[in-house]
Amino acid sequence: MTNLAVSPPQKVERSENEILTGLQQTVSASRLTLFLQCRLKFYYRYVLKLPKPKPASLHVGNVVHATLKAWHKARWIGTPLTLKGLHDEFSKAWDDQNKEEPVDWQGEEEDERLTAWRLCELYYRQSGFEHAEKPDAVEVPVETDLSSHGLPRLIGVLDLVQQRKIIDYKTSSTTPNSEKVAHTHEVQTSIYAILFREAASIREEGIELHHLVKLKNPKLCITQLPPMTDSQQNRLFHLLEAYLEGIDRKDFVPSPGMGCASCEFFNECRHWN
Amino acid sequence: MAVRLSANYSKKLGLPQYSSHSFSASVEVELTDLNQVESECQKLYQLLQQSVDQEIQQVGFVPDPKQYGQKGSSSGLRNGFHRNGNNQNGRQFRVHNGSQDRWACTDGQRGFILRITNENNLDKQEIEALAHRLYGLGVKHLNKMQASQLIEELLTLAGKPRQSRWHQQPQQQAA
Repeated sequence: MTNLAVSPPQKVERSENEILTGLQQTVSASRLTLFLQCRLKFYYRYVLKLPKPKPASLHVGNVVHATLKAWHKARWIGTPLTLKGLHDEFSKAWDDQNKEEPVDWQGEEEDERLTAWRLCELYYRQSGFEHAEKPDAVEVPVETDLSSHGLPRLIGVLDLVQQRKIIDYKTSSTTPNSEKVAHTHEVQTSIYAILFREAASIREEGIELHHLVKLKNPKLCITQLPPMTDSQQNRLFHLLEAYLEGIDRKDFVPSPGMGCASCEFFNECRHWN
Repeated sequence: MAVRLSANYSKKLGLPQYSSHSFSASVEVELTDLNQVESECQKLYQLLQQSVDQEIQQVGFVPDPKQYGQKGSSSGLRNGFHRNGNNQNGRQFRVHNGSQDRWACTDGQRGFILRITNENNLDKQEIEALAHRLYGLGVKHLNKMQASQLIEELLTLAGKPRQSRWHQQPQQQAA
């Protein structure tokens, strides 16, 4: 937890073994997913922490998340935002993100900004949330200790919980296929279900993935998933075991494939041996 | 040239019901030689610590938690709590062994909520009202997820919001 009484500690360089131990102690959906996607990419990002410029798509995704967070928070406390209010939040989030970590826009900032705003506006109009319907949680950090299963501590942040449904927003450039999305996001949705059950002491009603698709005419695709099954939990636990064992062995081999085309570590990977 | 050495020792101890008391003592001596500093410091530290420890064992007046802080304006209550934690607001957050006062969240979350509140002079009644507004529940009845959300709100109120969760996830697609 944050220690408020003292000034922030000085950054201490940790050895590779210490970093690996930390990665084995605490796991998030994005860490596990990346490890399963490509162990070398995981190594470059989480162990070596190779610095890379922030891509525009990440900036857009962050701003969309921050804007929707502000909207749901306002809805929650009974002062719902107008469209103008939403735009104000959007503008603030855009500037904040730019200050936090600037992007090399190469002259594309206005286009990207328009795209991001259109996604927020679309969601505002089409997501169907009733103003009077209070969320159960907005952008809430949760964690659970799985040491009784011989597994690490899980951590995560739930974008939105509404009527016991776990909702996660995604920004993407292509329209998702619901069956494929259920499979490709199963690690994340299962982790969220475990986190929710432990934190709220109830079972989720279901899980929804809200894809905001960056097309010329942007669209919202909602994929509704049932509660996590026991079999999905078992699969997740097996994957977590593989993650722990892989890190133990320092098994950081690359996984060449379609994803390499957009990988920020492409050049580093080409020199790996 | 006269060398003046000034030493101060203070100690603060917690008391039941979130009270605390503290005592400090200071002394100034004149030295004739800089070489005396190290040994003099050692001597003064021992002397001051011994003196403070001896005196601080006398707890003195500790208000009755059942009576103290029942009257007064809200700002007075807030100040009262900040000083010694024994006011009306404080009682809403107090933890006893009895089951009716047990918090539903984790001990860590409970401690964090109390710490953010105390260290930032947040008004406990406002926080209780915030919990009711968000969840229709008092602070100690919040489950772990609800307490986590409340902590986020308190950090924002205290001007110490957590870093954006997406900050260090340079992915092609924000998750």
